[in-house]
Amino acid sequence: MVPNVRRRPGSRVLAAAPLLVLALLLLALAACESRPPLGPEAALIAEGREIFFNETFEGNGRTCGTCHRAEDNFGLSPAFIATLPPDDALFVAETNPDLAENFENPRLMRAFALILENQDGFDDLANNFNMRGVPHTLALGTSVDSAAGPRTGWSGDGAPGDGSLRAFATGAVIQHFPLTTNRIPGVDFRLPSDAELDALEAFQLSLGRQEELALPLALEGVVAARGQEIFLDNTLGKCNACHANAGANGDPNIFGPGAGNLNFDTGVEALPDQPADLTGEPVPPDDGFGTPGDGTFNTPVLVEAADTGPFFHNNSVETIEGAVAFYNGDAFNSSPAGALLVGATGSGINLDGTQVVAVAAFLRVLNALENIRAATALLEQSKDERHGLGRETLELAVAETEDAIQVLAGGGLHPQAAIHLEEARRLTRKAARSFFQRGRLTRQAIEEQEKARDELVE
Amino acid sequence: MSWSNSRGRGRSADKERSTALRSSLIVLAAAAALLWGPAAVEGQMMTEQFIPIGQSPGLSSTHTDIGEIETVDPAARRITLGGRSIAVTARTRIWLDRSALRQANVTGGFADLRQGRRAEVKYEDAARRVSAEWIKVAPEPGG
Repeated sequence: MVPNVRRRPGSRVLAAAPLLVLALLLLALAACESRPPLGPEAALIAEGREIFFNETFEGNGRTCGTCHRAEDNFGLSPAFIATLPPDDALFVAETNPDLAENFENPRLMRAFALILENQDGFDDLANNFNMRGVPHTLALGTSVDSAAGPRTGWSGDGAPGDGSLRAFATGAVIQHFPLTTNRIPGVDFRLPSDAELDALEAFQLSLGRQEELALPLALEGVVAARGQEIFLDNTLGKCNACHANAGANGDPNIFGPGAGNLNFDTGVEALPDQPADLTGEPVPPDDGFGTPGDGTFNTPVLVEAADTGPFFHNNSVETIEGAVAFYNGDAFNSSPAGALLVGATGSGINLDGTQVVAVAAFLRVLNALENIRAATALLEQSKDERHGLGRETLELAVAETEDAIQVLAGGGLHPQAAIHLEEARRLTRKAARSFFQRGRLTRQAIEEQEKARDELVE
Repeated sequence: MSWSNSRGRGRSADKERSTALRSSLIVLAAAAALLWGPAAVEGQMMTEQFIPIGQSPGLSSTHTDIGEIETVDPAARRITLGGRSIAVTARTRIWLDRSALRQANVTGGFADLRQGRRAEVKYEDAARRVSAEWIKVAPEPGG
């Protein structure tokens, strides 16, 4: 019971004053907290991050981050699009009358996260275009290089200039940022400066995994472990030949050292019943690399695949199981790449349902392990950051943790790991809100991440 | 990556299978190389159209020549720029760079390559510099 004590007006404020002063002092200290100066590379990455998410290049309002969403693994999915407000810059074709025609297809964008690209030229905007998904920008440091030079974008030829990742942003601004489809530099947009291109490249290369895996891993789950065996078996799954170590590069034992990222015509364009086609909207065939194209597309990384669907350049397959099953079908086995595989090994790829699911389980576990690695790194990073920035970093750690939970749950895998991940998520969320207990909560969240990882791999 | 140590078991079996198949897969690799790779990496030429003369990232001035067109030989489909005779082939893309006029850059043709016009040439073979992969040309002399 609260005693009925009469207080003088303002006495509560006076009583709380020392606490208030203390809190203000602590806040001031936190705000003035000295941070070690960023090294040149870290400063360049930070500058690139700022440009990536905030620079519109005097165009239609889009930034790089409009399509490569940090909260959606630097890609874009229909589920994420559904959460965006109508005035998001992604929907500029719906809000800017100058971009209403021949700039995007809003129906295909909203339903399948497809973006319009004039890969083969701008002379016939109404008819000459492709509809492509947004590839994530994770682990680019492991996937862009090839013996023939850099491979960017879905078909490997996404950048103007020297074709490099550095030059990619220039092409993206021209294709996706203009105020009108006249695309006049200095009028409809400005081109990135050399310094901006340097910073954007540094930022993109800093995202995600920095090294290739070394398969096989000592996986705990029997299904994922069997999936790994099938993946690596050159007589069965044959996956590792083009996705060495579940990355984006050709197996050096087959393609030679330094082959790097390779282009193949795997027949994705020949898939029947592609979702975008089913709408009746115009979706011209995509001829891939070059102009005119040779039908080839470059090989994407697989470690980050399971939580970055839909899959393939045209977002034609929604699930990782479907993406693995694609290689069983006529579209692949009748394709130039499939025919070569038959010629070289005597057979195409022919996995049964359990084997498809096992390979997908393997990819799900790889993805979850990468989520755990990334979340842990973010948790560690947040310890050195100021309150506001640290909170942002912790929210990204939450997103990574949620991805791990969903990726495992989607395959019915490792429920015990999911429990640890859910606890890690709870602690991370709490840490993001807490001022005084952030350090302790962050350490506990890292411990839960480690427990989850131990459920997946020895 | 440091998720865990690589698993030892199964490695020798994998190695044997890999060795047995290597020769046939080398055929695959060779065929792939013949058919697709390494196709010369090219920039995404279509957005290149909108980049003004001298501003192509990683290319301009280092891998391209920029200057005034000195001579034009329509019969031989050749131009001279910087004292170098350059073949303009059926594959060569020609773009009119009208950005200085605040107009859209458009696809051009050989007839747009005129003496005195400022141009930038990217070569099909950057080392030999014999034939043009693309040419950007300004619409007016000195423009």
